[in-house]
Amino acid sequence: MRRFLGMVLFAICVPLSMVLLGRAVYWLVAGAEYLATSLGAPPTYGAAIANVILLMLVFVMTTAALLTIGERKWSAMIQNRIGPNRIRVFGNSAGGIFFLAADALKMLTKENINPSQRSRVLYELAPMAAFAPSFALFAVVPVGPAVDSVVNGVRTTVALQVANIDAGLLFVFGIASLAVYGTALAGWASNSKLAILGGVRASSQMISYEVSLGLALVGSMMAYQSLRLEEMVRAQGQLLWGFLPALGFFLQPVGLLVFFVSAFAETKRTPFDLPEGESEIVGYFVEYPGMKFGMLFLAEFIEVVVLAAITAAIFFGGWHPVLFEGWLRENLSPIWFASVCAGAFLTKVLLLCWLQLIVRWTLPRFRFDQIQKLCWKVLLPVALANVFITGALILVDPSLELLGLVGLVEIAAMAVITAAVSRKVEVPAHAHAAAAAVAGH
Amino acid sequence: MPYQLPDSELNLRERLYFPEVIQGVGIIMKQFLRNFFFGRQKDPDVLARDRSLSQNATIAYPEERVPYPPAYRGLHRLVPREDGRPRCVACYMCATICPAQCIYIEAGEYPDDPIEKYPVKFVIDELRCVVCGFCVEACPKDAIRMDTGEHAPPSYTRAAQVWDEKRLLRGPPVSYQNDPWLRRGSPSISPEKLQEMRARAKPFPLNATDEYAQTPGFSVRALASEAKGK
Ligand code: SF4
Ligand code: SF4
Repeated sequence: MRRFLGMVLFAICVPLSMVLLGRAVYWLVAGAEYLATSLGAPPTYGAAIANVILLMLVFVMTTAALLTIGERKWSAMIQNRIGPNRIRVFGNSAGGIFFLAADALKMLTKENINPSQRSRVLYELAPMAAFAPSFALFAVVPVGPAVDSVVNGVRTTVALQVANIDAGLLFVFGIASLAVYGTALAGWASNSKLAILGGVRASSQMISYEVSLGLALVGSMMAYQSLRLEEMVRAQGQLLWGFLPALGFFLQPVGLLVFFVSAFAETKRTPFDLPEGESEIVGYFVEYPGMKFGMLFLAEFIEVVVLAAITAAIFFGGWHPVLFEGWLRENLSPIWFASVCAGAFLTKVLLLCWLQLIVRWTLPRFRFDQIQKLCWKVLLPVALANVFITGALILVDPSLELLGLVGLVEIAAMAVITAAVSRKVEVPAHAHAAAAAVAGH
Repeated sequence: MPYQLPDSELNLRERLYFPEVIQGVGIIMKQFLRNFFFGRQKDPDVLARDRSLSQNATIAYPEERVPYPPAYRGLHRLVPREDGRPRCVACYMCATICPAQCIYIEAGEYPDDPIEKYPVKFVIDELRCVVCGFCVEACPKDAIRMDTGEHAPPSYTRAAQVWDEKRLLRGPPVSYQNDPWLRRGSPSISPEKLQEMRARAKPFPLNATDEYAQTPGFSVRALASEAKGK
């Protein structure tokens, strides 16, 4: 019973703390905007700078850094282990969070060994080239809706989004393809056979999956009639048949699946971690010491966060709280409603990060031919078919209800196939006995 | 796991791949939530831990230890009598059988009891010992045992790994009813002490019992009844 209450408490506390975080960010952004305008800067500059610092630097970096610990601790929970717990402060390991400091210290104080035959400029450039694009992607993600705020009697409109540019999704594709430079350069510049293998694998894999990544989102573009992420999020607030929110999840389940898989391949994490392949070639960063490796490593986790954010924005309703939205909108002051929206978005991001870690610890690594086959023979045709079918359905019924119906049918079909009993494999009795002997000493 | 699973063609549903992946993700999620919300059992009696909620199987080693079974061969000890002297009668059986020839014994006589020998020096080189347990088997007096449940502790010098009678003589004392010094008495043992030792003496056991358990809390009987229950 106590455990159950704990679970409920946890389920309430996480979104609630995210809401408070959203409120704090709104407050800071509005303050920065007020400060900037009173110093004579053009409107929205202050808010943009505050957003860059708070959302991109603070939120993304903190989440990515915590995910490095989360990956170890959560994988331990999945595998019935304890995980890192040896660094204790006042006898408390606090979920291994202190390993963050230990890791940073270790990375920063490691001896800086550089391969003598490296290509000097590119070698130094590669970690940055891997780090920066994944960061920049977050710029177009709308974290919270625009809201009027009054600071010292001056009314300004602030939104938790760094840049609301017209070509939002095209920006995402463009910057995402830049990420391949980091890995390819790292592999090339290290002048090592294993690193170049990793770099080549990374570039071929990422370039292949970019195709299906782009095509998977075309359906959403058509459905929401926009490339701006902010407008796509807004469009997901409309109701189908008066009750079902028009989430990308309902309208584009196939698009979601293809996008998620392709984006997973872009992050280069298991099951698509051939560029790294710790057990075989170690990967494109094999020659990188200390914090340079740390940057390549962290870039991966930043990609995880950004991927979660984009998926949440396009397919899971962005900052729409979805549940009780009308009630919340009526009963809360606008700024608190906006904070709830931001909290909902951040919670969705965290959940999707968690989902990615779960997937990463579920599946083993693909073989390289399987990766290419999955991309060109499965995902690409499916994405193309999705584009055509979505287009036809929108042409027939611009109110999206037909699209929603087909989407629901697709989801139901997927659920039925998934729930269908798979073949039971007969495990011989002595295998059970052996397993029991291991488990029970 | 050394067993064969049937190797057959994948059916269409399995070749779709995603249904199986989603099922697998579901299993992993369940496992995660289970271990996330239910903490690891911290019962110091590690064998009594309940794994029905959290399945965390870790035993945090230096702080928690799995008890060794009675047959485990740990560090040697020379078994003392109740009066503090070793049970050993310096018969050289152990030194003779030792395949590593790592036991060195010098025999002496008690000045007050000339029919009884005792080891003036009894040295085991734990670095040469192959932990075969032959010395324990060979001893006619149950005077040397490997029931400490310890590993030879690490040391910085080789000399510290050579254990002499002063370090070896430890642990709970043991008396048997057929011990000669109890049956005939001995001038080296005071009459009251002799009385006490006779009262405590047990028949020589033919099978391992809980008294042989090397770890507190470890029960041979509980283990046996558990095995019978299964
Ligand atoms: S355990 Fe074996 S090797 Fe070690 S002292 Fe006894 S007889 Fe010798
Ligand atoms: S320990 Fe046992 S076998 Fe070894 S000398 Fe003493 S009495 Fe004999």
